Amino acid sequence: MDKLERLLKLTAALLHAEIPLTAEELRDRVGGYPDTKATFRRAFERDKDDLRSMGMPLRVEPVPGVDPPVDGYRLDRDEYAGTELAFEADELAALHLATSLVQLDGDDTALVKLGAAGGDAPADSVGRVPFNDTLATMIGAAVDRKALSFTYNDVERIVEPWKLSFTRGHWYLSGFDRLREDQRLYRVDRITDGVSLSGPAKAPVGDVNEPIDLRGWELGDGPVIKATILVDADQATYARHILGEAVDRPDGSVTATLNVRNIDAFRSFVLSFLEHAEILEPAELRADFVEWLEAQR
Amino acid sequence: MSARLNARDRLARLLSVIPWVADHRDGVPIDDIVARFAYPRTQLLEDLQEIVFFVGVHPFTPDSLIEVDVSDDQVSIRYADWFSRPLRLSPEDGARLLTAGRSVLAMGATDDEDDDEGETDVPSPLLRALTKLGTALGEGAERAVDVRLGTAPADTLGVLRDALDRGVQVELEYYSYGRDELSERRVEPAKVFSDQGNWYLSGWCRRAEGDRVFRLDRIRTAVVTDIPVEHNAVGVDGAFTPSNDDPRVTLQLAPTARWVVEQYPVESCDDVGEHLVVTMAVSARAWLERLLLRLGTEATVLQADPSLGTGLASSAADRILARYT
Repeated sequence: MDKLERLLKLTAALLHAEIPLTAEELRDRVGGYPDTKATFRRAFERDKDDLRSMGMPLRVEPVPGVDPPVDGYRLDRDEYAGTELAFEADELAALHLATSLVQLDGDDTALVKLGAAGGDAPADSVGRVPFNDTLATMIGAAVDRKALSFTYNDVERIVEPWKLSFTRGHWYLSGFDRLREDQRLYRVDRITDGVSLSGPAKAPVGDVNEPIDLRGWELGDGPVIKATILVDADQATYARHILGEAVDRPDGSVTATLNVRNIDAFRSFVLSFLEHAEILEPAELRADFVEWLEAQR
Repeated sequence: MSARLNARDRLARLLSVIPWVADHRDGVPIDDIVARFAYPRTQLLEDLQEIVFFVGVHPFTPDSLIEVDVSDDQVSIRYADWFSRPLRLSPEDGARLLTAGRSVLAMGATDDEDDDEGETDVPSPLLRALTKLGTALGEGAERAVDVRLGTAPADTLGVLRDALDRGVQVELEYYSYGRDELSERRVEPAKVFSDQGNWYLSGWCRRAEGDRVFRLDRIRTAVVTDIPVEHNAVGVDGAFTPSNDDPRVTLQLAPTARWVVEQYPVESCDDVGEHLVVTMAVSARAWLERLLLRLGTEATVLQADPSLGTGLASSAADRILARYT
């Protein structure tokens, strides 16, 4: 039997089931599986993964009236269909265009499901936003109020994601860290080790309406140090862009006050201007900066 | 479109194709299915006639089977009870569409731009689609994704878009970050785009006589000229791609400086003990100076192209320290 036929029949059987069906019952009803127990199990696991990867809300429940308990499977027909999406043709076209204009990595099942997969993609993209399946999982978890487990700064954590923000070229995840029992912010590209779903979220969603516009030097656990820097005229455009609030001076240079929580990141930022910037205050950050440079002479 | 789809991709399509076709009592043109679902025609016909036709539920009595009728380039489907509604969009699917849609909206909206002009009360198709999508995915969708593509200085962006529309050259006063110098140049604009959070102009630079990419926030002034563009600039997509002519440097990096490898294009990277030895192209000396100053004791220069000069970090450190004495 063609694998497609088996998957279709499996889906039909799961949707048809009033009570959860065991793996063996499904094998008998669907057909087309290998004969030996071990190879059947492997094929069945792969099929389940395929169905799940497509977004099927496969339920795993104990089969009623069986002792010892046995896992059974079924699909709830309402859960399977979700909320009906009645898109107009121009809306589908807009979604299609949007996904081609922005180059996102990963698969395009979403457009296929909507029947918006066809049509010519524009030759040129106007933007590129890094995106992959892990990110889709994270955003999906934030939408669906699920917890995530992953490793960050060498610590394994369980985090309830609230929001994924792309800003200044990086994705950030904000949410509730169960280990720290507090709201935290993570840079997604520094999350190491597999991200996986870890049950439903429990804590209420905190206040994430404020735009997350944090700069590297604001990402830290230390107390805030107010630092004032001066940037020369020839790099003022760039500085104004990065810093947002900058004060213009008559000679075209600008000054700005930064909230520094991460001194290393602050130093790197000031160094990026080479000799076209200066830390005005506080004295301790000036001293740190001078010491760093003295070490390199 | 010509590539054959695997079983999973075909299943994903059929779960939407079947209910959609079944919804049209008089059938649907095959070409419509091919186009809407990116389903190669031969494969679609094979799957409908040789597979879907035999799908039902145990014990597969004829009344449980799906009926597929293909004739005159039309398909109709009946009795597909189990597949009367399409499979939902998963949260992950929704995440992709939301991200793409919000990115495109973010591209239109730039810093300080006066949006009143030409604005009407009718929401765009994209906005309508995203609203519907948000409703279907649940209240979390509104909150869960936020895309900011970096704010382009609105006046610069306006000038460049105007020049692009009119097909004329622009005069730029540009600060080259890599070289750490300000220059004036005339550019034939090809394209304005946002890449990884920054806005860029790509086009033919008449001074460099080649395709170049300029970051919008490093353009100090931009002035439209009346001179039509002469080159069919291809327009480059990415920011910096090393060329063969760029000088090379070989650095020894401490384990804590591994991020360098992830952030910049490196040509080789070897583990030597606990250190990394990397060779990379240098776009300009100032770029390397910044990197070395930032890394401090985490990096040692093992070898540098003679054109880069010597005392890379120390001379830059001296120049900066001059401000602090």
